[in-house]
Amino acid sequence: MTPRAPITWRVATVVAVVDETPTARSLVLDVPGWPGHRAGQHVDVRLTAEDGYQAQRSYSIASAPESPELAITVQVVPDGEMSPYLVEEVRPGDELELRGPIGGFFTWRVEDGGPVLLVGGGSGLAPLMAMLRHRAARGSTVDTRLLASARTIRDALFRDELGTLGPREGLRVAWTLTRETPPAWDGFTGRVDAEKLAAVAPPPDAAPRCFVCGPTPFVEAVADLLVQAGHDPRAIHAERFGPTGS
Amino acid sequence: MSDDHTLDCNGVAGLLREVLAPDPTTTHRRCPDCGDTQPLGRHRAYRGAGVVLRCPSCDAVGAVIAEQASELVLHLRGALLVSRA
Amino acid sequence: MPPISRGFRGRRHADVDPARIPPGQYLTTDFPVLSAGPTPRTPLDRWTFSIDGEIDAVRRWTWDELLALPQETVIVDIHCVTKWSKLDTEWTGVSLDTLLDGVETEAEHIVAWCDGGYTTNLPLEDVMGGRAWIAHTYGGEPLAPEHGGPARLLVPHLYFWKSAKWVRGITLTIEDRPGFWEGYGYHDYGDPWREQRYWSD
Repeated sequence: MTPRAPITWRVATVVAVVDETPTARSLVLDVPGWPGHRAGQHVDVRLTAEDGYQAQRSYSIASAPESPELAITVQVVPDGEMSPYLVEEVRPGDELELRGPIGGFFTWRVEDGGPVLLVGGGSGLAPLMAMLRHRAARGSTVDTRLLASARTIRDALFRDELGTLGPREGLRVAWTLTRETPPAWDGFTGRVDAEKLAAVAPPPDAAPRCFVCGPTPFVEAVADLLVQAGHDPRAIHAERFGPTGS
Repeated sequence: MSDDHTLDCNGVAGLLREVLAPDPTTTHRRCPDCGDTQPLGRHRAYRGAGVVLRCPSCDAVGAVIAEQASELVLHLRGALLVSRA
Repeated sequence: MPPISRGFRGRRHADVDPARIPPGQYLTTDFPVLSAGPTPRTPLDRWTFSIDGEIDAVRRWTWDELLALPQETVIVDIHCVTKWSKLDTEWTGVSLDTLLDGVETEAEHIVAWCDGGYTTNLPLEDVMGGRAWIAHTYGGEPLAPEHGGPARLLVPHLYFWKSAKWVRGITLTIEDRPGFWEGYGYHDYGDPWREQRYWSD
């Protein structure tokens, strides 16, 4: 059974910050009494200002359930309510409130089997990374394909780790860059389309579980493409991050 | 009106908990408008004054959550289905 | 008492006269998009605005006819029940006084109805006396669909859920009929200065 999200807020302490890209950072958190989570789940984070003003946003857990440390990955939204603070200001020792883990619909465990298709845009890679890190922690060779989309190579979240994450058997990672490619780029270029999906995804009759995450327009477009390609809509799990994707 | 056999909610609280407590995103909802059953996790959510969840099959209002100062109010249309498997 | 997050302020900007911010509200400089459903898209050649209900004859204007009426540009503050306030927003549209000119009715209430099915109720007098417009232009540009374009009701003295997006008409009613959010517990009137967010306020 998916761990149930407590209704109450817990206090979390930031123990480390990891700059993933120029505009994204992972926060490693110490959460006393953390009940554990499933890959794909998220947490609600709440911040309180000195005058009592509060803001709340959801962030995906990027760490594997097996990891002793809980990590969320935050992408800066220009003039955002919370992300500029979390990415540019927060230091180890700072406290924030956390509620979760939340969401059983967008989760995957090795026991659920494959093949698995993961399609992520921008910070939508965070929950998919939790799934892949979980797969690695369990040493699973389940047929798993990731199609990741980013604007430029500098924005490609977790790219180095994805290049070495094991087990390599059964795992395929493909990148597409939509704005700018580096010299000698051998990945895809441009938005995710039917052709790229066909090249990466298992065929529909293999009945893959599909997890699509990122900005809402990205998710809607990819989900439509998958259905048009013949994938069962009931096997498609989507997590929409809203207009800006963060 | 009740008779001697009538229970109150306390007597069936455990049963209600089976429906109300589990993860909402995997709980299914049967839409009274189109008859389709879909996980709540697949319902689109719209933030207005409160939150509106719409049936993924027919777009009808499935649930409305009003976040008031001291309480949350959930208005639900249709039936919730929770797997016992 | 929740822990204070060191240095967190949110997106707020402090340099404004606090008397312009209703109780419980925070100033924003962006324009959040909120709605109860997907954005409808009605082509302008099929768009009309109607006044019906307790009226001797239904009044209806096409898009071109609406634009041919006297237009007003106003600068107003707007306040959303979700706690953000945005100051000095500029809108252009047709005053409801112009559209209701000469109407005789026993009705004391209206229901504004919209593409997509959204409704909201208001006292008839609250959309008169220079307090309400059918607005089609925001900040000098055509109103974007996500913000209610081609046209929305604009009633800035009440919480902004009363400024119905994608408005297509108002029905004059004898009794007060709760609209969409009002039916789910939000306040019937919605005065931000008295913090009338929910029915119990």
